[in-house]
Amino acid sequence: MKRAESILIPFGAIAAGMIVFGIFCALAGANPLLVYASLWKAGFGSWYSWQNTLVRASPLLLCGLCTSLPARAGIIVIGNEGALVVGGLGAISAGLATLSMPPWFCLVTMGIAAMLCGGLWIAFSVALQHYRGVSAVISGLLLNYLAIAFMNQLIEGPLRDPSSLNNPATYPLTPDHRLAYFSGTHVHHGILFGVIACLIAWILVDRTTFGFSLKISGGNVRTAQLVGLPVGKLVVIAGFLGGACAGLAGMIEVAAVHGRGNESLNAGYGYVGILVAFLSRQSPLGVLVVSVMVGGLLASGGMLQRAHDLPDATITVLQGILFLFILLSDTVYGRFRTRAHINSGVKANAVAV
Amino acid sequence: MQLPSEGLGPWGVAVALVGGAMRGSIPYMFVSLGECLTEKSGKINLGMEGVLLMGAMTAFAVSDLTGSPWLGVLAAAAAGLVLGAIHAWLTQQPAVNDVAAGIAMILFGSGLAFFFGKRFVAPMAPQLPLLQLGGWSHVPAVESALRISPLFFIGIVVSFLLHWLFTRTRWGLNIRAAGDDPQAARALGINVNAVRFLAITLGGALAAVGGAHLTLYFPGIWSEGISGGQGLMAVALVIFARWSPRRCLAAALLFGGAQALGPSLQSLGVNGYYHLFNASPYLLTMAVMIATCSPNRRLAGMPGALGKK
Amino acid sequence: MRQPPPEIEAVGISKIFGALKVVDDVSLRLAPGTFHALLGENGAGKSTLVKCLMGVYQADAGVVRVDGTPMHAGSPREARRHGIGMVFQHFTLIPSMTVAENLVLARPDLPLIIDWKAEFTRLRDFLKQAPFQVDLESHIANLSAGQKQKVEILKELYLETRFLILDEPTSVLTPQEADEVLGFLRRLVEAGELSVLLITHKFREVMAFCDSVTVLRRGRFAGAGRVTALDPERMAAMMMGEAPEGRRVDKVPAKRGAALLQLHALRAMDDNGLEAVHGIDLTVHEGEIVGIAGVSGNGQKELLEVIAGQRAATSGHITVSGELHLPTRALLRKHRFFVLPEEPLRNAAVPRMSVAENIALRVFDKPPFREAGFLLNRASIVNFGRDMIQKFSVRPPQGDAPIGDLSGGNVQRAILSRELSSGEVRVLVAANPCFGLDFKAVDFIHDRLIETRNRGAAVLLVSEDLDELLEIADRIYVISGGNLVHETTPVDADLAVIGRQMAGSH
Repeated sequence: MKRAESILIPFGAIAAGMIVFGIFCALAGANPLLVYASLWKAGFGSWYSWQNTLVRASPLLLCGLCTSLPARAGIIVIGNEGALVVGGLGAISAGLATLSMPPWFCLVTMGIAAMLCGGLWIAFSVALQHYRGVSAVISGLLLNYLAIAFMNQLIEGPLRDPSSLNNPATYPLTPDHRLAYFSGTHVHHGILFGVIACLIAWILVDRTTFGFSLKISGGNVRTAQLVGLPVGKLVVIAGFLGGACAGLAGMIEVAAVHGRGNESLNAGYGYVGILVAFLSRQSPLGVLVVSVMVGGLLASGGMLQRAHDLPDATITVLQGILFLFILLSDTVYGRFRTRAHINSGVKANAVAV
Repeated sequence: MQLPSEGLGPWGVAVALVGGAMRGSIPYMFVSLGECLTEKSGKINLGMEGVLLMGAMTAFAVSDLTGSPWLGVLAAAAAGLVLGAIHAWLTQQPAVNDVAAGIAMILFGSGLAFFFGKRFVAPMAPQLPLLQLGGWSHVPAVESALRISPLFFIGIVVSFLLHWLFTRTRWGLNIRAAGDDPQAARALGINVNAVRFLAITLGGALAAVGGAHLTLYFPGIWSEGISGGQGLMAVALVIFARWSPRRCLAAALLFGGAQALGPSLQSLGVNGYYHLFNASPYLLTMAVMIATCSPNRRLAGMPGALGKK
Repeated sequence: MRQPPPEIEAVGISKIFGALKVVDDVSLRLAPGTFHALLGENGAGKSTLVKCLMGVYQADAGVVRVDGTPMHAGSPREARRHGIGMVFQHFTLIPSMTVAENLVLARPDLPLIIDWKAEFTRLRDFLKQAPFQVDLESHIANLSAGQKQKVEILKELYLETRFLILDEPTSVLTPQEADEVLGFLRRLVEAGELSVLLITHKFREVMAFCDSVTVLRRGRFAGAGRVTALDPERMAAMMMGEAPEGRRVDKVPAKRGAALLQLHALRAMDDNGLEAVHGIDLTVHEGEIVGIAGVSGNGQKELLEVIAGQRAATSGHITVSGELHLPTRALLRKHRFFVLPEEPLRNAAVPRMSVAENIALRVFDKPPFREAGFLLNRASIVNFGRDMIQKFSVRPPQGDAPIGDLSGGNVQRAILSRELSSGEVRVLVAANPCFGLDFKAVDFIHDRLIETRNRGAAVLLVSEDLDELLEIADRIYVISGGNLVHETTPVDADLAVIGRQMAGSH
C-alpha cells in the first residue's frame, strides 16, 4: 500500500499540474495538446533531444542530491546554487593551476577541488544551523549571493582572461584537459558522475548504518541525542556530501560545457535542483528519474518559443506549477491507509496533548 | 548608471549615499513589512522574490497600458494579494512545508512575471511623480540625489501603521496571538486559519508594492534581472529587525545604504571591489545572524509558532 | 451585581475520533452554585466531554442546555456569551504578550481599536477586588506556572464567567497553591456567584472542595453522587471498574551498594536562556530508586534533558562509577546507561520510522545488525523487533507500522522494550514514565522499574506524581527552583513538609 502510494501520488500530482499548465497555455492562446506534444518532442522525441535532455540532467542529478542528502538528516538546504558556483570556481582554479600536468590528473584535481569547495560551503551553512541556530535556509540564500559576488569579483579581477571583453571569463582550459564526450554525441561524461553519485547516495542512505543514523537524526533530533548519535557530526557530513555533489556539478559545467569559468555558472541549476529534490521526495533513486524529466523540460524552452510563440519563462511557470502540486500532494499521503492506523494515530495524539 | 554625485568629492558622496539609501531602501521596506506581517501570524513566506517580480511587472504593464503609474501600484498590490493568497492557502494544508512552498512560489511568481513581461516590453512606462527634497540646495547634483519617490513616505507610514495595528487594535492582537501560540489563540475563539490567511495575503500585497517601485522609478524599465534578489532578503531583514515593523524601516535604510556604497565608492575612484561591496548587505546579515542566534534559545521577539508545523 | 450562575445540563453527549468513541452517551446536570467534580483516569474522556460543553469540539450526538434552552455550541465565544468559561490544562495565555494584553484579548466585546487608557482603568478597578494580584505589565513568558494559573483564573473572573470549568488546574501547582486557588473559588461558589466544574483525578481535592461528583470510565458514565455520601474507595472503584491487580514484583529489601550515578554541580539553562538548574549534586547507588519530586517547571525537564544528552550543561558533569559520562554511543554502552524520558513519542522515538526500527535504535550499529563494517541488515532488525513486540505485548503487533500511529501506552511499551530488554541495565533514568497511561500499563512499568532496581541497577525517577514516588522510591528529593531542597524517604516523608519545600518556602 505504501509503495503504491509513493508512486501513484507523485504521478497524480504531476498529471494535475500538467492539466493546470494546459489551461494556462490555452488562456495564453496556445493549443495545450500541441504544447504537450512539443514538450515531449523537445525533451524525449528523438535521440538528438535526448542528448539535450541528458546534458541538462547531469547538473540536476547532482544539485538534486545537494538538497536530498541533508534532507535525510532533517535540514533543508537551498544553497545549491552557491555551492555549484564555488565548486565551479574551485574547479577552474585547480584546472588552470594543473594545466601542465596530464589531463587525467588535471581533471581529478578539478573534481576534488570542486567537491571540497562545494562541500565546505554547504557544510558551513548546515553547521551554522546546528551549532549556532542560524537557519540553513537563510544562510543558504545569503551564501548564494555571496558566491555569485565572489565569482564576479574573480572573473573580473584576478582570474580574468583579458581577451574576454564583453563577457568576462577566466582563462580557458585547453581542449584536451576538458571532460570528454561520448563519441558521436554531444553528451559529456558528466552524466556518468551524476548517475554514479545517485547510486552511491542510494546505497548510503538506504543500506548502511550511516544512512540509518541520518534517518534517526532527521526524524527526531531529540531521540538521536538520547541514543547517543553524534548529531552535529552527522548533519555536517550530510551537508558536506550534498555540497560536494553540487560542487561537482559546477566542475562539470566548467570542464565539459563552458571550458572556462564565467557568469553562465549561475544558470539556475541549483534552484531547479531544489525542485528535483522535492519532486523525488528526497530519494536518490527518485532524483535519478526526476532529473531526466526536468532536464527534458529545461531542454524544451526554445521549442515552445519557436513552435507556439510562448516565452522561455513558460518552462519556469510549469516548474512552479509542478512544484506547487507536488507540495499539495503531501497532504494526501496516508489517506489511503487502513482506518485502524489512522484511528490509533488520533489516539496517540490525544494522549500526547 | 550615471551618478549625480560625480565630481563632488566626499561631501557629494555622502549626499549620494543618503539619497541612495532612501531610494534603495524602498523595495526592502515593502518586502520586509510584508514579511513582518506574514511572520507575525506564525508563517514564513520565502517566496517574496516571486511576489516582488510579479509586482514589478504588473505595475509596469498597467502603468504602460493605462498611463497611470498609481493604477500600476494598485495593480501590483492586487497581484501580490493573489500570490499571497496562494501561499497562504498552500502553507495551511497539513504536511506542507513553508520553506518548500516559498521556493515553489519564487519559481511560480517569477515565471509568471517573465511570461507576461515578455508581452509588455515597452521602452518606458509612465513613472511615479517624485518629491523634491533637495530644494534647499542649489547644487544640481544634490537636488537630483534627493529626488525621492512618494513610495518612500508611504512605506514609512505603513510601518508606523503596522506598529499601531499590532499594539492597539483587536486585529493586531489576534495576529500576534495566532503567531505566538495558535493553540491558545484557538481556545480564545480566534479563527487562526482565517487570521493567518489574511495576514499572509496582505503581506504579499505589501511586498508587491515594493516591486512597483522597481519599475515605476527612474529609469522606469522592466527587465528580468530587475529585483537583483531583493525579495529573497525579506526573511533576513525581518530577523534583522527582530519582527518589529519600525525596526524594519531602519533595516531597510541600512540595506539600501549598503547597496548605495558600491556605486558611491566607485564614483570616488575606488573600483576594485565593486561586487564585494554590492554583497555587503548579505555579509552584514550573515554576521548579525551568527552573532545573535543561539541553538539553545529562541530569538527575542520571534513569534512562537514560527517554523513549527 | 453579578448574575447568578446558570444551570447547565448535558444530555447524551457522544464524541467520536476516527472509530474511537472517546465520549459515549454521557449526561450531566449541574445545578447553579455547585462545586462539581468530574473524576476519571487519564484518557477517560473528561477533557473531551468539557470541550464539547465549551464548544471547542462539536459533539457527535447529544445536546447542551443552558437554563433549559439548547445551546448551539459552535465556538467558545458562543459558550462565553452564556457565561461559561474554561481554564484549560494547557495555558491559553499568549507568552509574548503582557498580562494586560491577555486579559483584554479575551474580552468578547473588544472594540477594533483599543483604548488602552480606559482598558487599564477598568483592569485596575477589577484587580482591586480580585483575590490575587499580578503585575499587568509583565510578560506571560516571565511568569511561573502558578502565576500563570492565577492569571487564567483572573481572566475568567474578568470576563464575568459564572460557570467555570477547570481542567486539572492543580497539576502545575504546589499543594498549598492548589488549596489557595480552590479555596478562593469555593468561597465564590458559597456566595452564589459561581458554579465550578473541576476535572481532576485527585480524591483529596474532591473531598475537600466539591459538593458532588460524576465519574467517567473509558468514555462512559460510571457513577455519580454527593461527595458527603461517598469515600475515596468507592470513587476509585467507580473509576477503575475492577479492583486493581496486586503488585506482581515485590521490592526486595533495600541493599544499597556502591555509588553509581553521580551528578556534580550540574547547571543548565532553559529555552529562554535563564538558568533552570542551579548546581545539582546527586548520588544514586546500586540497587536503589531515587525519586525527584516537584511541581513541573522547577528545572526537572532541563535536568533530565542534560542527563539524556538533549541539552548541554553550562557547567558540572556526570559520572558513572566515578568515570566521566558523556552522551556518546560508546559511553552509553560502556556504562549501560538507559533513559525513559517523558512524552516518549517526542523524546525517545522517531514517529515516522517503524516500530521495529525504533526498537533497534540502540543496537543497529552492532553485529548482527551491522554487516561488513557499514551495511545495515534489515532482516535482523525486523526479527529483533518481532521478538520485542511479543515480549512486551505491543499492540498492534505489526513491526512495520510507523510508531507514530500507535497509542501512547504502546509507544511506551515499545520504548521500554528498547531501554530495558537487554537485562544489562546499570543506570536507568526515567521521567514521568506513567503519565497518561492506564492502571495496567502503570503497574507494568512500575514492575519493570523495581525489577531493574532489584537487579542492582541505579534508578533515578523524576516524577510529578508524589504518590508514585512514595510507592516505589527508596529515597526522595524535592526539587524547587532548580535546586534539590529536601531529602527524605517514603517511610519518614511528611507531606506538609514536602509541600512547603515544593513551594520553595524552606
